Amino acid sequence: MILLQSHSRFLLQTLLNRVQNLEKSVELDYHWVEFDDVRYHVQVSMKNPHILLLSVSLPTPPRETFFLGGLPFGAIEAIKSAYGVIVQILDPPRDGFNLTLKLNLSKLSPDEEYRHALLVKVASVREVVLGAPLRVILKYLASRTIAPDIDRLVALVHRPNESFFLLPQQAEKVTAVFPMRFKDSIDTVLATSFLQEFVESRRTAGLHNAPPCLWSHSPPLELKGATDDALSANAGFVTFGNITRLEFLFPFLVMLSILQTRLCVMNAVIFPRHVEGKKLDRTVWNLSTFHAYVNYHVKCSEGFMHTRMRRRVESLIQALNRAKPDQEKTKKAAHTRSFKRLSLKESRTNSNS
Amino acid sequence: MASTLRLYLTCIRNTLEAAMCLQNFPCQEVERHNKPEVELKTSPELLLNPVLICRNEAEKCLIETSINSLRISLKVKQADELENILTKKFLRFLSMRAEAFQVLRRKPVQGYDISFLITNYHCEEMQKQKLIDFIVQFMEDIDKEISELKMSVNTRGRLVATEFLKQFI
Repeated sequence: MILLQSHSRFLLQTLLNRVQNLEKSVELDYHWVEFDDVRYHVQVSMKNPHILLLSVSLPTPPRETFFLGGLPFGAIEAIKSAYGVIVQILDPPRDGFNLTLKLNLSKLSPDEEYRHALLVKVASVREVVLGAPLRVILKYLASRTIAPDIDRLVALVHRPNESFFLLPQQAEKVTAVFPMRFKDSIDTVLATSFLQEFVESRRTAGLHNAPPCLWSHSPPLELKGATDDALSANAGFVTFGNITRLEFLFPFLVMLSILQTRLCVMNAVIFPRHVEGKKLDRTVWNLSTFHAYVNYHVKCSEGFMHTRMRRRVESLIQALNRAKPDQEKTKKAAHTRSFKRLSLKESRTNSNS
Repeated sequence: MASTLRLYLTCIRNTLEAAMCLQNFPCQEVERHNKPEVELKTSPELLLNPVLICRNEAEKCLIETSINSLRISLKVKQADELENILTKKFLRFLSMRAEAFQVLRRKPVQGYDISFLITNYHCEEMQKQKLIDFIVQFMEDIDKEISELKMSVNTRGRLVATEFLKQFI
């Protein structure tokens, strides 16, 4: 699996299982956690087997993000438009969760394909909720207009107490800026080399239409308004961004990066062609899980390195064992000797006879 | 193999062959003790001159000899931050398994990445020529492994980036 899937596999399986055995009344009470500290809770009671309560808890938002009643802006509308009649939002949500949905499974349509598609959509509830503000902004981009009441700089939560930034105030493009933070120094180095590949691989054939990326050690000038705390990153910043503007920025970024080498940003510029029609969902999901995606592959390559190193240790130990004289050979050599050393006991019996 | 590397390794091999003539030598200070003199350095008459073999500034090998033990310390080339991290990770991985290697030292000598300690007992139970072969193969393998690890990180990075960017097309 190279790309992260937007639906929670366990949730999808639970839902499919429930739908197939709708008449059977069972008691379900599942808790689980997914990457980026998104927690789920599923509850079904014996009394109403066709009602399923799904609670979701989102990562703790940092100060600069804008949350409305525990949810990112536009989330309620996104849920309503995505799920329609089968879902009802409970207010207030379950204790310790940001959102509780009441699913009425008896209202599902009998059409197999449509039902499956809807259940997959329910299983990707984190994409719908966390990606809601991003979707709103990108929809404006698709229609090449600027949202009327939007800030110059929008912060969106993607990890506990961490956010990435959007610069939506241009009709033709939206710039996304990701401060990349990693706890481990090895992770940081690996991630840095991965991020450089993002910049380089875009230059290869076939990827010219992909969003331009820029990776640097210092936050781009557009982020001047954000707090320092929000911008402390150790693996750089990634910007998916417009080329012309970034070229202008580039000398400055290079200069700064020499001064503070521990800081990194990645930028990406999203053009309307990236959010047309069906691509919108994919773009929303990919941008909101960019950090998780890089992190996942950093961990994968560390795992791979460990397997390799273990194998190499084995081959080196074999090489060392080759230095030892063969154990069996020495035994044989002892047998072929013409005399035999007698132990004390044996010599006594020999002398008696 | 690059010719400079072969020369470097041949030089180390010849030096080791000359240096590895160890004999049993009980401690002079404490009765019934037998310690590697190269580690303790109790008396100067038991030590020989250390030999430093350099391929370049970043890659060198220090061979210290005494009457009953021999210490080999290696410094491995680290061109960039990624290689530095990979080398550290790999050599730490090896040092943690030092028991399995017998001749490996748990901690490297200061200024070096990894050290071996060969005593007269090791020479008695292993063939000298094969032991030298092992050291040389070890050096070759480390270089090869680190460049391969680096390559695999870069390949994966490229693949990860390409797959991600393909999603936008």
